[in-house]
Amino acid sequence: MKTPALEVARLVAARDLRLAFRKPSQLLQPLMFFMIVATLFPLTLTPEMSRLRDAAPGVLWVGALLSSLLALEFLFRDDAQDGTLEQFALSGQSLTWMLFAKTCVHWMLSGLPLALSAPIAAAMLGVPAAAMWSVVASLALGGFALSLVGAVTAGLTLGARRGGVLLSLLTLPLAVPILVFGAAATGRAISGDDIAGPMYYLGAIAVLGVTLAPLAAAAAVRIGLE
Amino acid sequence: MATWTWFHRLGSPPHVYGFARRWTPWFGGAAAVCMVVALYGGLVLAPEDYQQKDAFRMVYVHAPAAWLSLMIYTTMAVAAAVGLIWRMKVAHAAAAACAPVGAWFTVAALGTGMLWGKPMWGAYWVWDPRLTSELVLLFLYLGYMGLRSGIEDSSKADKASAVLAVVGVINVPIIKFSVEWWNSLHQTPTVMKMGKPTMDTAMLWPLLLMFLAFALYFAAVLLIRLRAELLRRERNASWVREVVS
Amino acid sequence: MSEFLSMSGYGRYLWPAFALGIGVVVLNLVMALNSLSNARKEARRRLEIDPENAA
Repeated sequence: MKTPALEVARLVAARDLRLAFRKPSQLLQPLMFFMIVATLFPLTLTPEMSRLRDAAPGVLWVGALLSSLLALEFLFRDDAQDGTLEQFALSGQSLTWMLFAKTCVHWMLSGLPLALSAPIAAAMLGVPAAAMWSVVASLALGGFALSLVGAVTAGLTLGARRGGVLLSLLTLPLAVPILVFGAAATGRAISGDDIAGPMYYLGAIAVLGVTLAPLAAAAAVRIGLE
Repeated sequence: MATWTWFHRLGSPPHVYGFARRWTPWFGGAAAVCMVVALYGGLVLAPEDYQQKDAFRMVYVHAPAAWLSLMIYTTMAVAAAVGLIWRMKVAHAAAAACAPVGAWFTVAALGTGMLWGKPMWGAYWVWDPRLTSELVLLFLYLGYMGLRSGIEDSSKADKASAVLAVVGVINVPIIKFSVEWWNSLHQTPTVMKMGKPTMDTAMLWPLLLMFLAFALYFAAVLLIRLRAELLRRERNASWVREVVS
Repeated sequence: MSEFLSMSGYGRYLWPAFALGIGVVVLNLVMALNSLSNARKEARRRLEIDPENAA
C-alpha cells in the first residue's frame, strides 16, 4: 500500500533529525568552519573595517558556500554506506519526496544555523547592525537553494572516486547564480538599499530548485545504486 | 512508420558507424571551403570598423568559438537526454564525444576574448559578462569530464554524466542571466560589452559563413570521435570485426 | 602586405587570436583522428587475442 508522499517525507525528516541530534557536535562543525573562514579574510586582507565592509558580501557568501560543500558530504554518505538509501529506493515510495525531505533537514541543520549565526561573522566584517536582518534572510534563502543544488551533485558523486573534490567542482559552477544574487542582496543591505530585487531572483531559483532538484537527485541516486 | 525506422537505425551502432564514415569527408570538406572563404571575406574584404579599426576582425574567430562552445554543450545535453530517456548507447557515446571538443572551444573563446580585450580595454582579463559566462561554462565542461572519469562502471558513468549535462544545460541560461545582471550593476563608464560593432553586410556575411564553417567542422569531428567511442564500447560485436579488418 | 600583417597596429593581438582559433581547430581534428586510430588498433588487437569474443 502506498503511503501518501507527504507522510513519507515527514517520516524521513523525523528520522534524519533524530539521527542528527545523537551527535550534536557534528552539527557544529560546518558552523565553526564558516566562522574560521570569516576570520581568515580579515587576517589576509586588512583589519580596516571600512575595507572589510566592502568585501563582506563576498566573504560571507564564499564562506557559506564552502561550509555548505563540507556539510553536503553528510547528506547521503551515511545512508548510502549502511544501505538505507537502497532501501528507500526499493521501498516503492516516492524517492523524490524522501530526498526532498532529507534536503530540507540538511538545510535546517547546516544552512539555517549558518544564516542565524552569520551576524556574528558579519559584525566582524564591519557590517552595520541595520543590515543584519537582511544578511540572515538572504543567507537563509540562498542556503536553501544551495542545499537543493548540492543534493543533485551529492547524488551524482555517490559512486565516484574522490567524490569529495568532485562534488565541489560540480557544485560551484551551478551555484554561481545563487552567489551572484545572494551577495548582491547582502551588498545592498549593507549600503542601506532595498534588497527586494535580488531576493526575488534568489526566491525564483529556490522555487525552480524545489521543483526540479529532488527529481534529479532521485534519478542520480538510482543510477548510483544500480 | 518511416520515421520510426530512421530512429531505430540511429540506435544501431554499426549503422551509425557507417553513416559517420561516409559523411565525415563531406562535412569536413565543406567546413574547410567555408572557412577559407569566410576568412578571406573577414580579413581581406570587409572594411575596417569605425571605432575598433582592424581589431574588430577578431570577431571572426572569437564569436564562432564562443557560439560553438555553447552549441556543443547543448548538443551534449540533448544527446545525453536522448540516451537517458530512450536508453540509446549511441546517444551516450555521442555525448561523451562532444565534451573535449566543447571544452577546447571554450578555451579558444576565452583566449581570443582576452586577446581582443587587451587592445580594447587595456587588460587581458575583464569581467565582461560574456567572458565570465564562458569561464563558468569551462568549469561545467571540466566537471562533466571529471564525473565521467570518476565513475568506474561505464554505463553508470554515462547515465550520471547525462543527468549532470541536463542539469547543467538548464543552468546555463540562468548563469548567463545572473552574470549579465551582476555586470550591469557594476557598469564602469567604458562600455564593457565584448565589442559588438554595428555590422554592415560586408562585415556580416563572413561572420555568418564562419558560424556555418565551425558547425560543419564540429559535425565532422563529432562523427570521427563517435566512431572511436562506438568501437571502444562495442568490442564484442561482430560488426567491429568487419570494420577493422 | 605589411599593412595587412600590421592590421592598423592590432596585428600583435589579432594574429595570435587567429592562431589560437585555427590551432584549436587543427588540434581537435588531430586528436579525434588519433582517438579513432587508437580505437581501431585496440579493437584489432582484441580480435586477434580472442577471435570469437573480442572481449
